[in-house]
Amino acid sequence: MNLGARLGGAALFVAAVASAAALVHFAVVLLVPIVAAHDAYARLAELGPPGATLALPRGRPNEKRFPWSDPAIAASVCRFDLSAGPVRIKAPVGRAGFASVSFHTRRGAVFYALTDRAATHGQMEAVVVTPAQMRFLVAHDDEDNPTQDLRIVSPTVQGFVIMRAFSELPSLYPAAADQVQMMACATEPPQ
Amino acid sequence: MVFKAIAVGAIGLALGVVASGAMLADPPFGATTIGPWRVAAKAGSLEADPYTRAALSRSGEIPLALGEGLKLVAKIDSAGRPLDRRCAYRVGSRTPASRYWTLSLVDLDGYPVENAAGRYGFRSSEILRDGDGGFSIYVAAIAHSGNWLPIGHVDQFALALRLYDTPLAASAGAGGIEKASVPKIEREGCA
Repeated sequence: MNLGARLGGAALFVAAVASAAALVHFAVVLLVPIVAAHDAYARLAELGPPGATLALPRGRPNEKRFPWSDPAIAASVCRFDLSAGPVRIKAPVGRAGFASVSFHTRRGAVFYALTDRAATHGQMEAVVVTPAQMRFLVAHDDEDNPTQDLRIVSPTVQGFVIMRAFSELPSLYPAAADQVQMMACATEPPQ
Repeated sequence: MVFKAIAVGAIGLALGVVASGAMLADPPFGATTIGPWRVAAKAGSLEADPYTRAALSRSGEIPLALGEGLKLVAKIDSAGRPLDRRCAYRVGSRTPASRYWTLSLVDLDGYPVENAAGRYGFRSSEILRDGDGGFSIYVAAIAHSGNWLPIGHVDQFALALRLYDTPLAASAGAGGIEKASVPKIEREGCA
């Protein structure tokens, strides 16, 4: 075997390895969100059942479940499952300096957010629906009496909402924690 | 021939997995650098790239929506040197416009670091300010007068700056934050 053929063989080998590595790499990156057993949704499931407003543990050194939690923020979460119907979220705006609600897919991505600037009558309120539920609701809307509801289509049937309230001072953290505990998330009664 | 095929598969698999692990620990796309700070404004959104999505699934972080605020993370000082627990830093003296901001110290996984003072961050609403409204936060392992943010028991750490309800959110993805508007992280000396 001459030198040229050897080099050619080595180059082919390196190219084959690189292609295999690239394939594995892309497969891993695309599969991780689907198979991740310990994503945010799974961690929230450890706190309690869907449909319940649960306090998110405060960011502390000994609390290793929810990274990048701001210690100045009190938060509560509610997992939703739209298979039984739309879910209405009501979050009261209290005395906290800043409050917000964000809506997340099963994989954790944000698909909508409200802040206290968008509150009406002291509430941040929205109805989370599937695309099919949205079509049904729109088809049955009363044209003379338009709905006041803010309807938000969720890309996934399951997901979660998180309410955050900012504590302006350490001594105001308990008040912020009380405020986020007042978020309600309930499946709408069938029409 | 068979041996070569097996070698290609095995090396490719190993390289692919190692590359994936490394890239998901620090997603390569979607983040903007402003001075020492990195901001991935769209990390939590439905438009996030596959690397950022996979990293989010693995970390379990519940991201802020753009409408709620922005999270900026620094692992280096303003001169580009990695943050070092043996050194003291002055962070200041301005932040981009926002209703509130917080500065907190975390380990590289995003969790607060245990320290004797029990202080994990500062809020814009509790901080001591200069006569002209600017501020200085001293990040150091040993006590410092003024706004002292202890480094605590950790080898490597990061600083997280959160801007709540900021008009920058809309432009942050396009690099709309000016370098002059973010706090500097100046190394003051090392033990």
